[in-house]
Amino acid sequence: MAELVGVFAASHGPIIARDWETMAADHRNKLAAGFDEIGRRLAACRADLLVVVSPDHWVNFFISNLPAVCIGIGEEHDGPPEPFMKKVFPRERLKGHAAFGRHLLQTALDADFEPALSHRLKLDHGTCIPLWRIGVDPAMPIVPLIINDLEEPMPSIRRCLAWGRLLRQAIESYGEPLRVAVLGTGGLSHSIGEPTMGWIDEEFDHSCIEHFEDGEDTRLAAFLTDALPRTGNGAHEIRDWVVAHAAAGSKGFELIDYFPSPQTLVGAGFASWKVAAG
Amino acid sequence: MTDYWVSKLFFDLQHDAKLAAEYRADMASVIARYEIKPDIRKALLEDDVGKIAPLVNAYLLRFYFQIRGMPEAEFIARLHALQERKESAHG
Repeated sequence: MAELVGVFAASHGPIIARDWETMAADHRNKLAAGFDEIGRRLAACRADLLVVVSPDHWVNFFISNLPAVCIGIGEEHDGPPEPFMKKVFPRERLKGHAAFGRHLLQTALDADFEPALSHRLKLDHGTCIPLWRIGVDPAMPIVPLIINDLEEPMPSIRRCLAWGRLLRQAIESYGEPLRVAVLGTGGLSHSIGEPTMGWIDEEFDHSCIEHFEDGEDTRLAAFLTDALPRTGNGAHEIRDWVVAHAAAGSKGFELIDYFPSPQTLVGAGFASWKVAAG
Repeated sequence: MTDYWVSKLFFDLQHDAKLAAEYRADMASVIARYEIKPDIRKALLEDDVGKIAPLVNAYLLRFYFQIRGMPEAEFIARLHALQERKESAHG
């Protein structure tokens, strides 16, 4: 049977890619250290497969057809289409894992969840900036789990917690001896294309971190449900961390680093979870 | 309130470099292919961030003004002006 061997989360943002070479070295080093530490921990857990929980930044979906959740079940996926990604992550294709993607989809349907499916996704900067900076081996298969974090209405935090538990169940019921890791990307607070653009809500970010450390799902859901409408729109990506958190059993959160990064417009967060027994 | 056709224009521009180049050269003729109301067409031609912002997803808006060639600092300043206007309206 497969097993969950590591759970991680990291921020992303286009400016990280666009300005990587030109940003102040001390700031770049700080960002690099967070990503590098996740890369080190991911390598140490010797994963065979990485499930990446991420938003879609209007690359695969539009308001004419916008799933709340979509699972990538293809043998491969397309690399990032954004021009600013081409120079730092010029991969046209990323390896998928159709069998596990399909198993995750079937596990979801059997549990009365109804995600969309895709046999071929374009994996945008939300997925590929962490893969690039963490240094994920190109041979590592990726199963994308796309959550609508961008356009309201979005999945509830309760549902994201349920998705995390479901993901764990799918991993542990998969019949092959795969070592699976999970990476949630996005957050923490940021504000994009709205009147507060550039605002990093440190109070929100610290409260998020405290709730992940606390590990109590009801309190986490209540906090985020109340606080998300009052902070910047980019914070909705915390849903991807919530899925990762619940997959880890909602325990064992360990903050690697957090700092406001006005240079990249995000509250930059890096974390991993000690995986509790299922 | 989301405006489907403005959103569609922005989405298409994000996905089609040729269309984006055409848009830079002749905005009006590209806009004419979409069912965009006259006052919104005018706002697009005038880069009226305040008028357009409530009509589209914020991420699409950001990308659109990158296509338009507006420096991000100016885009942010125009958004902040909206916030200041909102705050002064509420005393």
